[in-house]
Amino acid sequence: MKSVYTKFAIIIVIIAIFVIIAVPPKEKIKLGLDLKGGIHLVLKVQTDDAVRAVTDQMILQLRSEFKDKNIKVEKVRRIGVKEISIEGYDSVAEDQIIAVLKEGGFQNWNYNVSAGKIILKLKQNAEVKIRDQAVEQAKETIRNRVDQFGVAEPVIQREGLTGQSERILVELPGVEDPARVKNLIKSTAVLELKIVVNGPYASKEKLLEKYNGKVPDDMEVVPGVTKEGSREYFLVKKVAAVTGMDLRDARVGQDKYGAPAVSFRLKREGAKKFEKVTREHRGERLAIILDGIVQSAPVINEVIYDSGIIEGHFTYESANDLALKLRSGSLPASIRYLEERTIGPSLGADSINKGLKAMFIGLLLVIFFMVFYYKLSGVNAVIALLLNIVIIMGALAYFRATLTLPGIAGIILTIGMSVDANVLIFERIREDLKLGKTPKAAVDEGFKKAFITIFDANITTVIAAIFLFQFGTGPIKGFAITLIIGILASMFTAVYVSRAIFELIFALKKRVETLSI
Amino acid sequence: MEFFKNPNFKFMKFKYIAFILSFVVITAGGISVYVKKGFSLSIDFAGGTLVQINFKNDVSVDKVRKSLKNVDLGKSIIQKLGEGHEFTIKAQKVSSKSIEEENMEKPEEVANKIVDALRTEEEKQLLKEGKLDLNISEKSFIKNLLLQITGDEAKAEEYATKIADYKKKHLGIIKSFDEIKNLLPKDVFEKLKEKSFLGNIALLRVEIVGPQVGKDLRYKATQATIWALIGMLIYIAFRFKFLFGVSAVLTLTHDILVTLSFISFFNKEISLTIVAGILTIVGYSLNDTIVIYDRVRDNLKKYVKKLGIEEILDVSINETLSRTIITSGTTLLTVLALYIFGGEVIRDFAFTMLVGIISGTYSSIYQSCAYIGIWEKRKEKKAKEKKIANLKRIEERKKSEVKKVKEETVPPPQKEERKPAQKTAKSSKRKSTKKSKKKKKKR
Repeated sequence: MKSVYTKFAIIIVIIAIFVIIAVPPKEKIKLGLDLKGGIHLVLKVQTDDAVRAVTDQMILQLRSEFKDKNIKVEKVRRIGVKEISIEGYDSVAEDQIIAVLKEGGFQNWNYNVSAGKIILKLKQNAEVKIRDQAVEQAKETIRNRVDQFGVAEPVIQREGLTGQSERILVELPGVEDPARVKNLIKSTAVLELKIVVNGPYASKEKLLEKYNGKVPDDMEVVPGVTKEGSREYFLVKKVAAVTGMDLRDARVGQDKYGAPAVSFRLKREGAKKFEKVTREHRGERLAIILDGIVQSAPVINEVIYDSGIIEGHFTYESANDLALKLRSGSLPASIRYLEERTIGPSLGADSINKGLKAMFIGLLLVIFFMVFYYKLSGVNAVIALLLNIVIIMGALAYFRATLTLPGIAGIILTIGMSVDANVLIFERIREDLKLGKTPKAAVDEGFKKAFITIFDANITTVIAAIFLFQFGTGPIKGFAITLIIGILASMFTAVYVSRAIFELIFALKKRVETLSI
Repeated sequence: MEFFKNPNFKFMKFKYIAFILSFVVITAGGISVYVKKGFSLSIDFAGGTLVQINFKNDVSVDKVRKSLKNVDLGKSIIQKLGEGHEFTIKAQKVSSKSIEEENMEKPEEVANKIVDALRTEEEKQLLKEGKLDLNISEKSFIKNLLLQITGDEAKAEEYATKIADYKKKHLGIIKSFDEIKNLLPKDVFEKLKEKSFLGNIALLRVEIVGPQVGKDLRYKATQATIWALIGMLIYIAFRFKFLFGVSAVLTLTHDILVTLSFISFFNKEISLTIVAGILTIVGYSLNDTIVIYDRVRDNLKKYVKKLGIEEILDVSINETLSRTIITSGTTLLTVLALYIFGGEVIRDFAFTMLVGIISGTYSSIYQSCAYIGIWEKRKEKKAKEKKIANLKRIEERKKSEVKKVKEETVPPPQKEERKPAQKTAKSSKRKSTKKSKKKKKKR
């Protein structure tokens, strides 16, 4: 058997390590949203958008290819999100089209020729990849935005299995402006510059009068807001001349009247496209569309190369946020909120105060009871209990685990339950003392007999806690983790540390006749 | 100090009374759930919008409801929290369209609607005049205003932080301008006072859960509970006899049912934290049960030929009684502290734990041990009956043939039945225990 002093050396080293890890607790222990205030969001990426975008891109490519090769095709249109229908061609054109499709660049597409119609369909694995990438890209974009905004220790991760889940979990602790940050994340910031064909008019009907009330295939209606605040509608070309993807940079600037606006610069590829479009459509209007709403629709007076300005009804702050969003990239697809929890900082502060108060009161009650009931041995149990709390704190800090309000409840519960191990041991010791054994023999026997019981009893709570951890979310995970750590720690403190203290007493006094228990 | 000096209570004598008690509580719980048309689920599981608000002044639930009626939210569940001016409002629309659907489209909408509804006419007028409500505004808005006043970015940030910190300490509410007078230089303070006002409410928490997430969380919680139970059954069956495992799981089921009954009696909502509470109870109650089982296992060896199963159980329970009471006591003390001082958010969790600890302590004696008692006694009785029958048969056969028949043709006892068998006469009990023990050994 190891000497008592080695045991104590081990205990002191272990406790010292945990103290060093956990001190000062205010800095070392990560607080959960419920204690710090902040935002918890679960977003669903509408990956259909991304698939649709790929299909639209393909249509654009087909049209330009047919045009280049002089293939006469009346209609190339999208069906649903991932199918393209090519219609209105003669038999000569059919062979040409098929030749184009076989040529390459279409490896992600299956095509099917039927009477007067060719249907292209996106391949399954390509679709899965697109959806997966859309979620990944959305995650990165959100991370960019959050980082630029400056949130400490954000959690941004996909929920569930990569490649399948369309959900992203975002947790932003300590945010003081929840509404603003939420807007920042949520907005897709899809910037599109499209050529205006008709409009603006105050109503859709009027806008489409020329077209017998029907929107032509390659065009779409986009709403806008007039300076006076009323609705107006534009008929624009479906295919964007330039999109947010072509942006290199975006900054807050001023329009010609000195009002806040967002100026942007384009990448080389984008600049080329922009130059071509502005050259071809000089004198027409160009709609600057952000997230499906026309911000402004200036007339193209001259060929524009690589920079432009977005005017709208901005304040300095909203212009700043828009620039930030455009800089960090647009979301590849729109986003829906599935879950949104905002905890104000004041509620968090209140919760932590109350939680700590409950903890100290609970602790004092237990300490008082143990000392009252078991006298000096109770002090032993109290030492074990306090060390237990130190270990929980240290372990939380070490694993970067989050302390939540249910987590504090877990610690409080552990305080009540961890003395259980001591109680089991002490009761056994008392029984043996009653049988007339010497204190030393009774202590030895008590620890030995009680250990297996303690182990069996605690392991089951750990099992429950593990399942809680597995299935639980945020705060519940915090509860499970403190419970697990607390129980494991209590096995160490109540069994090893308490015993060492008893042995120390026996070692210091040569003859121990009675035990204060 | 000791609570009990050598306790010797005859626990098992009252087991049927205990069964009746449990039966009554659980049946009443079932009726309560039926009458109330199921449990009320929190937004975690049902989806919906929950807003927690702190009022500057004392407000009654009726007044809040009246205001909400104006925006079609009159059916909302409004709860006043504790002594202060805090309320939670679970938004419920009067009209038919599901609030979640509408809500997830425009997350801010319902929360904003509630805030607007709770504003007084006077406040609305002040807002129209372009004044800023310091109580409901986030820090960046306050900073913006201070930037306009001071024209100095760093100073605006400094003052805004001071105000935000003050709000943090006072649940988001500044009651009068005097409270923040000393936080700012006089001129800034005067200008701020001119351009802002102190609104009636502060928004403490907004939670919106979509129906899909609610469904997922429901599934996850059920999974967690089921797997935890299976895990424990396996562990106990592994560590003890299978019968002990079954009894333990029956006990846990009892505790879960009792807790759920009380949740229904007191109209508590089932939320994620409540599920966590229930699972903790499962662990805790099992903890208790195992300690007693452990003793039973020891004592079965110790008293194998001396005592009947019920006596062994009684001895075991009495021997561990001090421990049971003390551990339940300390845990109860801490949970009580949590219930009283832990604040509203955690109170329902503490309530669940209170019920569960009491139920778990009681059940580890009166459920887990009682099952074993009944089962073992049945086995004893069966064995005895078989033996008498065998003896008779042997005698008859002896008469007809003069051939010996082996004693060991006793088929194993039938599947367990919950209904108690007729009480055996006390005198015959001890004898039969010995027999059954012998047989067990032989097997």
